[in-house]
Amino acid sequence: MKGWRTLFPNAWYVAVREYRARARTRSFVVGTGLLALIAFAATQLPVLIDYSMTTSQTRIAVVAEAAGMPSDSLAVLDGQLNGQAADTNAHKAFVLSWLSAGDDAAAQKDLEKGTYDVLLIVARDAATNDLGFTVRTDIPQDGSAVASITHALLSLEIDDRLFRAGTSTAALTAPFSLTIGPANATSAGTNSISHQVSADLLSTGLIMLIFMAIITYGQWVAMSVAEEKGSRVMELMLNATTPLQMLAGKVLGNGAAGLTQYGIILAAVVGGLLAQGQIHKAVLGTSSGAPFGGMDPTVLGAFAVLFVLGFLMYSLLYAALGSLVSRQEDVQSAATPLTMLVMTGYLMSVFGLQAIDESWVKIASFVPFFSPYLMLARVSVGHVEMWEFGLSALMLLISVGIALFVAARIYSAGVLLYGQRVSLRQIFLAIRVSR
Amino acid sequence: MSLIIESVSKRFGDVQALEDISLEIKPGEVFGLLGANGAGKTTAMRIVLDILRPDSGTIAWNGRFNRDLPRETWGYLPEERGLYAKMNVLEQLVFFAKLHGVRSKVAEREARGWLERFRIPEYADRRAEQLSKGNQQKIQFIAAILHDPQVLLMDEPFTGLDPVNVALLKEAFLEIKERGKTLIFSTHQMETVEELCESIAIVDRGRVVVSGSVRDVRRSGGRQMVRLAVEGDPEMAWLAELDGVRVTRRGQDYTEMQVTSGHNPEVVLHAALGRDLKVTHFEIADPSLEQIFIEHVGQIDTTERTLAPKVPA
Repeated sequence: MKGWRTLFPNAWYVAVREYRARARTRSFVVGTGLLALIAFAATQLPVLIDYSMTTSQTRIAVVAEAAGMPSDSLAVLDGQLNGQAADTNAHKAFVLSWLSAGDDAAAQKDLEKGTYDVLLIVARDAATNDLGFTVRTDIPQDGSAVASITHALLSLEIDDRLFRAGTSTAALTAPFSLTIGPANATSAGTNSISHQVSADLLSTGLIMLIFMAIITYGQWVAMSVAEEKGSRVMELMLNATTPLQMLAGKVLGNGAAGLTQYGIILAAVVGGLLAQGQIHKAVLGTSSGAPFGGMDPTVLGAFAVLFVLGFLMYSLLYAALGSLVSRQEDVQSAATPLTMLVMTGYLMSVFGLQAIDESWVKIASFVPFFSPYLMLARVSVGHVEMWEFGLSALMLLISVGIALFVAARIYSAGVLLYGQRVSLRQIFLAIRVSR
Repeated sequence: MSLIIESVSKRFGDVQALEDISLEIKPGEVFGLLGANGAGKTTAMRIVLDILRPDSGTIAWNGRFNRDLPRETWGYLPEERGLYAKMNVLEQLVFFAKLHGVRSKVAEREARGWLERFRIPEYADRRAEQLSKGNQQKIQFIAAILHDPQVLLMDEPFTGLDPVNVALLKEAFLEIKERGKTLIFSTHQMETVEELCESIAIVDRGRVVVSGSVRDVRRSGGRQMVRLAVEGDPEMAWLAELDGVRVTRRGQDYTEMQVTSGHNPEVVLHAALGRDLKVTHFEIADPSLEQIFIEHVGQIDTTERTLAPKVPA
């Protein structure tokens, strides 16, 4: 194989041609634009959720028929129902209208007209002297709004009982000491739900990115090989280049085109996340939490290494399979075994994330076909030693070398085989005699 | 100092594609490879180009084995024509030339020059798929020669071209030959071979049946052809009495006959004059290549005996 010595510049020329041919297609331009748009929209989802929450308001009419209620009853209800928003100008999920005793008939009419969503009648039980509540509403009785109201009423009841027992309202609302810290007192980081959720999303997202890249861009490589065979340009190319130059050029060119698409989508995501605060403010008047909370440079570094190596290995094999068919229509079926392998690895990582310390996950994270997913899963959870990652990456790198050798052999034999189906025997025969 | 193919054999599964082929092609020569479909012409070319490896035998050009030669030594016009359909013509010409080590600027200038010569300069910026088949073929020819290869191999270069383009291509052949390059092409059009080639080889079922200069090949059978026309005796029944003479064609213009080796063709003239006939045409010629070909291969076989199964159209 003299091609090893003279890989460049021809591999580079092939790569540039592949890149241009790919990036100029309408499907690439439209697809990239569409995906970027979807990605940007997805980053604005929290804004949308917050927005939809602000537009829903539960209007409650409170008819206080009971005598001798604590003076801060309204404040207690408001505080319980609206939380922090009770003290600020922010949007309130519940709007309370405090009506005088005897207004219940009018309030009942307003409730039926739809001016109020909930009518709450507070009365005092003659026997026990406790407060009794009647709630009339058509909103779902097992919904969160009714649950919140029930919870707030419980507080009001306790408030009233303590008040009657002689505790002052000031004493009832006096501040108390509360400290929340991490399990390890010396740990600097604080944890939050959004932090954890974004870390989880990030690791599954990154694994998905690898999966999508291999499936999509690997097939591009196979398609482009089959296309050259189908259009018979292959015969011209065979005299102009060596199979190895062609193979390397194709993988690099299509990989670069794929990375361009990824770059644009990622830019849309990052831009969307950065703009999220501004948009949130513009739409809702408040800013949202930090969007990059879960991003860990270690995970991103591991992602870069595993992404590149995994893509190289798989796309070389895709190229080899693409060289065995004569028409683009046959690429899908020829590539099926490899696609199954790619899917298997991905599914393993989906289950693996739930059982990250199981031994099968550990073993699979060293198997080159699966390590791009499973090692990344382990790194993102943080349950991995440095040497483990190094070993896994090294084995993947060696596999890339083996894949290059095998693919070049199959490729140089396959590109000259024309026919409906190529048998394994034919491949081995051809590999043996090819250059 | 020539292209030497020595005892090359190649087998695909059960099919012996080439069997002990030996040929010598002199530099600066136009060499024709004649054979029916499936005779092994394409396989032979692919082996010379080092696209395929032979099971045994060697190929050397100017004393160096083809495995050690840089790829730009060769120019190749494959039988199966193909270009990148979506790529524009000039871009792909420059691309192929660059793969052979030609600088972009030189390649572009040369490409434009050749497009001009083939009377299609306006196609430079069109996509290949927008061109007719004949024009695509010309583009492919340009792609094969843009890097000025020392040896140009062409598989059926004339098929599918109209007479005007055939003439243009022949002109280009001669110019490349004048530059001192070696041209090898396969065909089954005998007239083209007689017009262009200095040497030929007839290949049948993977073997070289006969090879050498066109003259030597035509004389290889030892026979000569006589064409005779006389006034007043269109039948010339007396020809049957002559020893070693066999009539092969009777026409209005003349009667053609074959004279077996060892017999003097002038016997025919003497016999005619001896019968007091007025001879209006007498010609001694070598057999045509077509006759030689038929003699060696049987008939011009039009059925495909291709080795690799083809994709149905």
